[in-house]
Amino acid sequence: MIEAKAVNFAYHRGEPVLNDISCKIKDGEFVALLGHNGSGKTTLSRLFMALLHPRSGDVFVGGNNIADLEPADLAHQVGYVFQNPDLQILEDTVFEEVAYGPRCKNKSENKVKEQVEAALAAMGLAELSDAYPRTLSFGQKRRLGVAAALALNPQTLILDEITNGQDEQEKNNMMQYLEKLNQEKGITIILITHDMNIARQYTQRALVLHNGDLVFDGATADLYDGKSELSEWGLKQPIIATLSATFGVEAQNAKEFCEKLYLKEGVAQ
Amino acid sequence: MSEAAIKFEKFYYGYINGNVVLHNVNLEISKGSFTVISGPSGAGKTTLCKSMVGIIPYYYGGRYAGDVEVLGESTKGKRVSDLSMRVGLMLDDYESQLVSLTAGEEVAFSLLNHGFAPEEVATRTKQALADVGLPGRENYQLDELSGGQRQRLLLASVLAVHPEVLVLDEPVSAMDPDGAHALYKLLYKIYKEYHMTVIVVEHNINFLLPYATNMIVMNKGEVAAQGTFEEAAAIAYEIPELRQNLPELWQVKLALENRFGITLGAWRNEEEALKELQEKFVGGGCDD
Amino acid sequence: MRITAFTQLITVLAVTAWVFLLPISAVATILVLELALLLYIKHDRLTMAAIGALTVFTGMMILLQLLFGSPLKVSLAGGLRMFVMTTAFLCLLAATKIQDIAQALVEKFRLPCEYAFMLTTALRFVPDFLTDSATTLDAQSCRGYSNRGNIFKRLYAYLAVVKPLVMRAVAKSDTLALSMELKGFGANTYQNMCPQKLGVADYMVLLIVIVLSAYPLWSKYL
Repeated sequence: MIEAKAVNFAYHRGEPVLNDISCKIKDGEFVALLGHNGSGKTTLSRLFMALLHPRSGDVFVGGNNIADLEPADLAHQVGYVFQNPDLQILEDTVFEEVAYGPRCKNKSENKVKEQVEAALAAMGLAELSDAYPRTLSFGQKRRLGVAAALALNPQTLILDEITNGQDEQEKNNMMQYLEKLNQEKGITIILITHDMNIARQYTQRALVLHNGDLVFDGATADLYDGKSELSEWGLKQPIIATLSATFGVEAQNAKEFCEKLYLKEGVAQ
Repeated sequence: MSEAAIKFEKFYYGYINGNVVLHNVNLEISKGSFTVISGPSGAGKTTLCKSMVGIIPYYYGGRYAGDVEVLGESTKGKRVSDLSMRVGLMLDDYESQLVSLTAGEEVAFSLLNHGFAPEEVATRTKQALADVGLPGRENYQLDELSGGQRQRLLLASVLAVHPEVLVLDEPVSAMDPDGAHALYKLLYKIYKEYHMTVIVVEHNINFLLPYATNMIVMNKGEVAAQGTFEEAAAIAYEIPELRQNLPELWQVKLALENRFGITLGAWRNEEEALKELQEKFVGGGCDD
Repeated sequence: MRITAFTQLITVLAVTAWVFLLPISAVATILVLELALLLYIKHDRLTMAAIGALTVFTGMMILLQLLFGSPLKVSLAGGLRMFVMTTAFLCLLAATKIQDIAQALVEKFRLPCEYAFMLTTALRFVPDFLTDSATTLDAQSCRGYSNRGNIFKRLYAYLAVVKPLVMRAVAKSDTLALSMELKGFGANTYQNMCPQKLGVADYMVLLIVIVLSAYPLWSKYL
């Protein structure tokens, strides 16, 4: 479980970035962390990984206060995947790349092999084990980043804009892998994203930050029912959500929506 | 002569150490149009952009067949730097396209290289920076500018040479939605003001729905659909793997048109779509 | 008083020669003048840090010489010379824009334009690489690489990050080369810039440089 208690944060002599944030993320949840640019969502996620430490308040990961911890201490509990996959590639083959984490923790070679193969299989990269990471497609590199974090068997995965810059197929592909991890292995997923569609389709819970304040903490469905102040928070209602709310139907995508519409009486064909 | 800004005739291309990435590309982009190039990753969209300034096939080398015509002339035998005076190209790694230390120097760079007089350079620099919303920032160091501002700086440096065509390859892939909307709004303003031809490669066509006049959909190195936005969208809709790349409003529109045999408006925004849908439809599920 | 990059370059090169030609008292005077000049031009934290780093480095050099058996006077003199030379370059960098230095190198020293432009490019991309390396170091930490430990361990961590950064630099340089080509970079780039004309101040400084450089000659005859 990850918990923030009255957390305040500001960079050196800068404006406050997080104001009195309190939230609890339980194991197995699939959470969207939303907010406009500069709202503090990335900062909050970095606190969860002990990449940053709060100015005041506490952050607990798995029951331990992160105050004296560094990211390496949390690596077996929380996996953090950065937005730019190229900046995270440290080794020359996919296998070595994913093995990096377990090797840092001094696991035996057999254990390392086991964990790497499991992680690669979970992200659909098993056949690319010997490939040079830079020859992978963008989508594959993104999955490699997740596999590398997964190799340490963390309870939680934090993903920073994991679907940014990808086409629809790749986005859905990635989200399906993540959904599987969440449903089959009970891994907590914290998804930092701008993509309202993805958040609506795949997450159950949403945390919304606005100018450093936590303005929404609840079910994703409640966020997109057309009644919350999304525009005030600098966010946009996904189109299908607006259409669904207007017509009083439930639909996750265009196809579902269309199936639930009738032509009105007397409309010319 | 033809009104085509860009013309591809039976164009094939394969990188030196790679597979053929463009197959039999035949397309025409007319002057004054605002064209979206969309399609799945790896479809050849970036290769297409680079072909418009002669980088492909001439600068990179590789195997090719057919011809690319830009503003009536073949790209063959032309220098890439000369072509880029008429076709401004912005690649998706915009950071690596910024080569100077200050904003003013960046905008002036191309102009100086092509022998423009210093007074002309100063005037054009001023105008270009003003056009992109960075007025008076000639002396700003590059690291004093935010990511969005840097991208606009690149746009300014491309505009300063007064190209007739602008080609942008996934300009907003690293941006948040607000930044993306702002950039495209700026782009449209410049498009209208200077009567340019604009070509944008973009995954998320939603951003360009209010602006696009034409669309080209690429798939596996071939042109799967081209024409006006409406025409291309209808064709792309019929191809299952390409359907999900269309804006949701149009997926809805085309699905409803197919199902009920009616014609709906060519919606360019949510309000239009909602209005018409509310006039003609009710919700409630269906067993059709 | 504006002197061109060319004159500044000549002065710096002259100083490099003077540390060996002039007596130690003169060299020490030059050091004082340099430091005064440097702090006059730029007294920000970065400059102070640079002076500090140079002092430490000089100290290490002196110690090294002493360890190898050189007498104290010789070691100190050697250290002083090195300090004066490096501080001269620091003054140059503080006083002139790198673009002007590059232009002077091409115009007057006939350096090929590609090499001169590397100066600008380096300065342009160093901040970006520092940011990128911070992210890569963070990624390392998140995979379990502990940052605890002594300074050597921390330095070793930086080494491990060098390879990914170099790979990234190579990839970026492809796009950079392409951009330069698109923008028409070439010999004409520097030719078309406003030429740096030498003014009265330049000639005065150059005269002083020539006079001082002829010290071995007039010290003999005067």
